[in-house]
Amino acid sequence: MRHKSRTVLPGFGLSLGITCTYLGLLVLLPLATVFAKSAELTGSAFWAAVTDPRVMASYRVTFGASFVAALINTVFGLLVAWVLVRYRFPGRRLLDAIVDLPFALPTAVAGIALTTLYVPNGWVGGYLEPLGIKVSYTWLGITVALIFIGLPFVVRTVQPVLDDLEVEVEEAAASLGARRWQTFTRVVLPTVAPALLTGFALAFARAIGEYGSVVFISGNMPMKTEIVPLLIITKLEQYDYAGATAVALVMLLVSFALLLTINLLQWAARRRMAV
Amino acid sequence: MSIEVRNLRKAFGNFVALDNVDLDVPGGELVALLGPSGSGKTTLLRIIAGLEPADQGMIRFEGEDATDQPVRERQVGFVFQHYALFRHMSVFENIAFGLRVRPRAVRPSDAEIKDTVMNLLRLVQLEALGNRRPSELSGGQRQRVALARALAVKPKVLLLDEPFGALDAKVRKELRRWLRRLHEEVHVTSVFVTHDQEEALEVSDRVVIMNEGRVEQSGTPEEVYENPATPFVYSFLGDVNLFHGRIDRGLVKVGGSELEAPEWAEARDQAGVAYVRTYDVELTPSASGKSSIEATVRHIRAFGPVVRLELDRTEDGSSIEAHIPRAQHEQLGLTKGQRVFVSPTSVRVFARPSDPGTARSA
Amino acid sequence: MATIAISRPATTAPRAVTRATGESRAVRYTLIGIALVFLALVLLLPLVLVFVQAFAKGLPAYWEAIREPDALSAAKLTLLIAAIAVPANLVFGVAAAWCISKFEFRGKNLLITLIDLPFAVSPVISGMIFVLLFGAHGWFGDWLFEHDIRIIFALPGMVLATTFVTAPFIARELIPLMQEQGSEEEEAAIVLGASGWQTFFRVTLPNIKWGLLYGLILCNARAMGEFGAVSVVSGHIRGETNTLPLHVEILYNEYAFAASFAVASVLTLLALVTLTLKTLVEWQQRRAMAEAADTDSPSERIAA
Repeated sequence: MRHKSRTVLPGFGLSLGITCTYLGLLVLLPLATVFAKSAELTGSAFWAAVTDPRVMASYRVTFGASFVAALINTVFGLLVAWVLVRYRFPGRRLLDAIVDLPFALPTAVAGIALTTLYVPNGWVGGYLEPLGIKVSYTWLGITVALIFIGLPFVVRTVQPVLDDLEVEVEEAAASLGARRWQTFTRVVLPTVAPALLTGFALAFARAIGEYGSVVFISGNMPMKTEIVPLLIITKLEQYDYAGATAVALVMLLVSFALLLTINLLQWAARRRMAV
Repeated sequence: MSIEVRNLRKAFGNFVALDNVDLDVPGGELVALLGPSGSGKTTLLRIIAGLEPADQGMIRFEGEDATDQPVRERQVGFVFQHYALFRHMSVFENIAFGLRVRPRAVRPSDAEIKDTVMNLLRLVQLEALGNRRPSELSGGQRQRVALARALAVKPKVLLLDEPFGALDAKVRKELRRWLRRLHEEVHVTSVFVTHDQEEALEVSDRVVIMNEGRVEQSGTPEEVYENPATPFVYSFLGDVNLFHGRIDRGLVKVGGSELEAPEWAEARDQAGVAYVRTYDVELTPSASGKSSIEATVRHIRAFGPVVRLELDRTEDGSSIEAHIPRAQHEQLGLTKGQRVFVSPTSVRVFARPSDPGTARSA
Repeated sequence: MATIAISRPATTAPRAVTRATGESRAVRYTLIGIALVFLALVLLLPLVLVFVQAFAKGLPAYWEAIREPDALSAAKLTLLIAAIAVPANLVFGVAAAWCISKFEFRGKNLLITLIDLPFAVSPVISGMIFVLLFGAHGWFGDWLFEHDIRIIFALPGMVLATTFVTAPFIARELIPLMQEQGSEEEEAAIVLGASGWQTFFRVTLPNIKWGLLYGLILCNARAMGEFGAVSVVSGHIRGETNTLPLHVEILYNEYAFAASFAVASVLTLLALVTLTLKTLVEWQQRRAMAEAADTDSPSERIAA
């Protein structure tokens, strides 16, 4: 990278050097192995590896559950953010801090806790079992785990936007005759929409790669409840490096595409809101 | 629609924003609520709008009690200091908003909405900007959109909260004149809040001066300017010099000088303050009678038609400000450091607050 | 720029939406109720369950599970890995934030996006890439074998995987912070004769201390709790290459539920401490910002 450093402040060369070396060796080089290894496969071998029925099933499970979980998180995340920003009630501060629990809690702990909660004789599973609803070892369980993981992303992305809403705009809408519901859908929601979309994308991106919280509750039945990360591990254990890498490449590409989308969303949102 | 406010009281915690306020706004008039920050004028406006509930008192619109009516039903148009435009909507949609949220039964058709909005855009002289977003407009343009938006729902009352406060001086002056013209065309009862006395006096039919939650005076711009009822009003409107002295039998003794105060003929040795407008003074090189006050010229600002002189009173070093026409200044030929005598030509005397006195103000 | 949010400071007092334009009481209570039920179900229940299950077999069993040799060595390994990964990422984070926020250069935005990469990568893949690099069949596999160096299925591999996963935390916290603060103070220090290091330690560091602490707390929490990536490179060798999260998994898979939750409760306590520290730092940050706003001149406030 060519550079044009400011001559007054020192340390440009050193800091840039450390940064690039670190990134290059720790991040870029290892990631490059995925691309390199995949390139060893012929086109058709690669295609066969990533479209194998078991792999396709795992895509369905992972992307499907992640999508549904992110969707649920978007709706309830907005609700939680709204309640935390707009209302005063006992325990509000505590709840606000707890929202970050999925960020701080090791995924394995979340995994075993959620599983124990939803097995047929678990605290919640016990109520759902008689109703015929099975959560653990099903697609539903995976979704529940992904909801846990993704909630803070939506809440924390939406909260600052709600916080910044000018009261006057809602007052203006009221003075013009709008009912509360109309003000919410016509004025508040469009303003929060970009943040909601970003939160959804973040929750989704995190969910598709999630392993620890899901692997206990999913039951890992191939073709039914096997998530992509687990499939990759299974292939590695069977020394099918080529297969594992191929699937990993697909995941990486999807993740990078999401990362790019999220960046663009946030950049666009900043431009729109700049008045 | 006329507005009546009776015995309004509002406190925020320990701070009393409005203390037993009465107000009458006749239908079709443009009234200014004028006062410094904290005087309660914005609170009063917001209570009239229904954006804030009063602790006590009553609001009547055209004789009907509206005190407990929610803001949605009051049919007031409100214009905010910082416009509060809907940033994600175009100018057109902003103005159309009030029409679009009407209940199905009374909602105008799309064609009617388009008609109304285009007419309003013409009224505020922004016809070509219907498709723009608020972020693409200047401050003055945004405020006009805010006005059009408020007018779209044909409000019975138009309320404006420091509508030009966020704009530069030049734009403010233009919009001021424009608002006056608009009012003459549309004739909606309007109340606007400002801390700029020039604005209030120039634009309104009636000025209500507020201070510390109370109405100090209410009247036409001429009335409040020429006959200020209280010291606050006097010093708030226009630049003024204060002279402390003692009132005795129709005269105010200020230092070694004596000023005429006929309305205080009955007073006997009271503490008082003489208020003299900065242009109600005559400057002479030598003393010209008992009312002359000796001073030295400290600073001269001689640009424009009026020359501003800062003088130091010889007796106690206090500051006197004099504004005299340029011609007079050239005639006098005053220079910095020169000794000069100041004779007030028009004096208003108020008793010191602790001393109510016998004379009542007009 | 900054993409996947780690966690933004929580809000303080609720906005003063006037009664005139707020929701009716019924709506308000309903919304609060739904939110509370949702949060309780999703967040609180699992939290409570961990502790209940941990003590299900009584206090003595709990202590035994925690003091068991394998658990202790897992704890030591966890701490050791964090002790290496976090400082390394600290240096990286500071270096990255310094060159990005104080200088202009081409490719800056690309660099910022690259720093975010580990966030976008699934933990399993994060582990896998090091297997591909240093494993028996990896790029360096033969060379390592010849020199009898073990990276995969040993401590170095786990450190690398953990460092990879937690690399962005501190950088992402510092970059926007330092960008916002600008370079004026540092420039003033240089003009007054301070050296680069002096400027950094005396001028920059005090200004970023809360953001730095915040990033450290999050980085550490993730480093100690990382599961997927470490699982792939560790080989699950009890007593040797198991961290606490991996130990939890092993116990659980052996149906030693109470013991598993006992160890999990330690990690959960760590998480709660993390949350508490995080909240405290956020308070301090907000206070520091409020004070700075007071002492700023009006023109500074406009420029900010």
